[in-house]
Amino acid sequence: MPLEHHYPALIIAILFGFAFLSPVIYKYTRKASVPVFITALSLTIFMALAMLFRIYADGPFTYHMGGWAPPWGVEFRIDLLRVFMLLIILGISSWIIVYAVKDLEHELKHNLIGWYYSLYALLVGSMAGMAMTNDFFNLFVLMEICAISACAIISIKEDRACLEASFKYLILSAMGTGCFLLGVAMLYMVTGHLNFAFVSEALPQAFELYPNNLFSASALFIVAFGTKAALFPLHVWLPDAHASAPSPSSAMLSGLVIKIYAFSLFVIFYQVFPRDLLDSLPLNQIILWLSVLGIMFGSIFAMVQVDLKKMLAYSSIGQIGYVFLGFGLDHNMAIIGGLYHILVHAIMKSMLFMTAGVIIYSTGVRRIKDLNGVGHVLPLTMVAFTIGSASMIGIPGTGGLISKWYLALGALETGQPFFVVIILASSLLNAIYYMPIIVNAFMQQDEFQIKAKPVPRSMTATLVVGMVAVIFFGVVSRPIIVLLEQAIQFLL
Amino acid sequence: MDESTATAVLLFIILFPIVMTAVIMYVGDKSEKLRNALAMATSAVIFLLTISLYPLVVGGNIIQVTLFEILPNLEISIRLDLLSFSLAALASFIWFLCTVYSLDYMAAEHGGSRYYPVLTFTLGSCIGIFLAGDFFTLFVFFELMSLIAYILVVHEETEEALKAGYKYLVMTIIGGLALFFGIILIFEIGGTVSLGVGTIVTETSTLALIAFICFLIGFGMKAGMFPLHVWLPDAHPVAPSPASALLSGIMLKTGAYGLYRVVFSIYSLEVIKAGRWDIILGVLAVITILLGSAVALTQDDIKRRLAYSSIGQMGYVLLGLSILNSNAITGSMFHIFSHAFMKSCLFLAAGAIIWKTGKRKISEMGGIGRQMPFTMACFSIAALAMIGIPPLNGFLSKWTLGLGALDANITFYALVLLVSSLLNALYYLPIIVPAFFEIPGEEKHDNAGLQLNDATPRMLAPLIILAICTILFGLMPGNLPFELSRLTSAFLLGGGQF
Repeated sequence: MPLEHHYPALIIAILFGFAFLSPVIYKYTRKASVPVFITALSLTIFMALAMLFRIYADGPFTYHMGGWAPPWGVEFRIDLLRVFMLLIILGISSWIIVYAVKDLEHELKHNLIGWYYSLYALLVGSMAGMAMTNDFFNLFVLMEICAISACAIISIKEDRACLEASFKYLILSAMGTGCFLLGVAMLYMVTGHLNFAFVSEALPQAFELYPNNLFSASALFIVAFGTKAALFPLHVWLPDAHASAPSPSSAMLSGLVIKIYAFSLFVIFYQVFPRDLLDSLPLNQIILWLSVLGIMFGSIFAMVQVDLKKMLAYSSIGQIGYVFLGFGLDHNMAIIGGLYHILVHAIMKSMLFMTAGVIIYSTGVRRIKDLNGVGHVLPLTMVAFTIGSASMIGIPGTGGLISKWYLALGALETGQPFFVVIILASSLLNAIYYMPIIVNAFMQQDEFQIKAKPVPRSMTATLVVGMVAVIFFGVVSRPIIVLLEQAIQFLL
Repeated sequence: MDESTATAVLLFIILFPIVMTAVIMYVGDKSEKLRNALAMATSAVIFLLTISLYPLVVGGNIIQVTLFEILPNLEISIRLDLLSFSLAALASFIWFLCTVYSLDYMAAEHGGSRYYPVLTFTLGSCIGIFLAGDFFTLFVFFELMSLIAYILVVHEETEEALKAGYKYLVMTIIGGLALFFGIILIFEIGGTVSLGVGTIVTETSTLALIAFICFLIGFGMKAGMFPLHVWLPDAHPVAPSPASALLSGIMLKTGAYGLYRVVFSIYSLEVIKAGRWDIILGVLAVITILLGSAVALTQDDIKRRLAYSSIGQMGYVLLGLSILNSNAITGSMFHIFSHAFMKSCLFLAAGAIIWKTGKRKISEMGGIGRQMPFTMACFSIAALAMIGIPPLNGFLSKWTLGLGALDANITFYALVLLVSSLLNALYYLPIIVPAFFEIPGEEKHDNAGLQLNDATPRMLAPLIILAICTILFGLMPGNLPFELSRLTSAFLLGGGQF
């Protein structure tokens, strides 16, 4: 088989391979490790793009690890939806790593940086795998890798808050994985398969014979993925974990890690489970109402925060609610909105965490109250913050508006204008907690007395890329919407 | 001029100020003179180019061009018809005058390198609102303008300005979200939000009503309609005077323009009348008129009094829109013109007084007419026009509006117009009369306040031009704005035909 057929496996192999090599590279040639990592990531992006073009040429395809065919072998499925997610993961993580180089020197002990890159590569590799995998067992293994490496990139900072937060995260995440395993066992009991395609084939019959198994399996999945994706009320671990972690980790966790779990739940519910199951249980309704509560409470909690990163973390709880809202509304438009929000939120929230990171790097300020006047010291950073916030609020011209537009259309199509009101109310709440920060940062110029360290060029560059991306995806959204429309055609 | 040239001109008109913003910002650090000249030139160029489209527009041509699709069925497009032309021409004219006025006014103030780029950008987005070809584009420019104008509002950076600005910002965002909801509802009902399709909603329904209310909130908030006017009396007075003149003279009109488009392009007259939604608008307009005028009476700060007066005057525009017959629409359209001339003149005059003497309180302004005769003369002419004294333009708009009300057999509205004129007289005359006839320091025999010490020529010139406009566009023959209003009214009521 030609090399390009092995791309799915190669993507994961490259990333995991780098994870093993990174400490060694770092130990001997400190300077080389970042370029090597970025090369590795660009290589994977190239492969993902090649797969995208192959899908356009030949349609979706599957890849069997080692040539072993399912139901026994390990299978990856590559279709538009998976590639969309894969590209987001790879793209955003290569963007964050450029930022991380300087930030880590500031936040971590130097001998740990090589290990940080290992963990980062593991995290990216496992997420890429989760996006592509086509069986439950693999999903489970990759989820574990993802959870552990995510915990580790929080606790690597080794201060009290980080350790406490990552421990909390570890426990809750283990609980989530436990629930997932139980759910998989329930499915395995009634179908005898782990491969998505086989399970999905066997399920309609199994559903008639053993409905209770499937009911409990779906409940377990909601809890499992809900915990990991911080769906209200299972979000309790998120604010501490995301706020205390080093800024690149926060960007990664809020931007990507919670999304991949939401994405997996979407794949399981819509690609694996039979439609009858979704219709016979109010699963969508449950997700829908939990997401509404998440959207409202995330924003309300964010309003009362005094720590900038904590506020951003609470805002993520609200924003992941939008993604689930799209899935819960169960209408094409809304699902497109939810998927688009995965992309947009990944960009804007990563960028916001980066700006928070730059502020901490340059001035050491974390408290929102102390940010008054910072716009005169760090103008570009605060402009980036402004654009990110504008997108959070949904100001036209930014990506945030497009996902809200589709979510709202979906809500109207299903005849539930109430959810549009929720979207609008939460936009207003976003405005109420983001706007004062911006206004005070630019207006009260005399109040900021701390001398700022110069911001490294790599950090500035990443922020500029982020600003451009937020506006780009707000203006040129059509190609991606068209891609998503094709990607979710299996729903029709 | 053929269609493709016109399209290019339109695009240029929208994009030029936005490009110039960057240039002015860049130049601003190097040379103040060049910066000011560029800002002035930009608004002049825009005005001249807009005027050059006049022959095209009075010929009854409509230009509607889709630039690109941002989402399936949702496009960015531009449109030129009589209504857009009238407002764009008016806006760029007033903008030019205010920029000229700013040259001296802002010279003494801080933050000029922020003021001029923002002023220019606001011009671009404001023209963008008027030339938008669909509601989505309009919404984009509307939000841009509203958010950027915040910087003008808080220019002074005082505690008071920041507080007013925050109120403005929150209200703007609420309005923006309401608009978003309205637009998305219309998109859901009709599958398009283009202005080029005539009527999008053809029958009344609950959703259509909700959308109408959302538009009322979004655009009405900007137009200072009761009960959403609360931000206006705080935000307009705290801005620098030329910016106040633009906020009251032009940016309020974007709200009215939005409502015009909502009434005529989204719904049809039949739908509005069948749902009796015109009554909602009418009632709100009457309250707005009376409330604005009544509260203006109690204000001692001259700019606050003018701001409340703006609320009342926007009520006239909305009232005309709610009556929905030929005369009323003509009157309402013409009042958009008149009010822009009168209120910019008043704010600029008030600005000149504050700039020269530092007096903001009306009670302290006795005898100011002897010190600043030209400024006060312009102020008086504009104030008399506000009251509706013939042959000034304010009289003509009230007369036409009154005719419209009587045509529709609603004598009550005509009565409201009379009462409000009386109120206008009650709060404007006490400014003018003491200004000329009271002699300050009479007891102390101190003549310091009596010396002729008027504003600079560059500040007086825009004032005098505006004052001449209020006379010229009153009962004089060849009244171009009135002609345009009549044509626009016929154009809109005829469903886009003459």
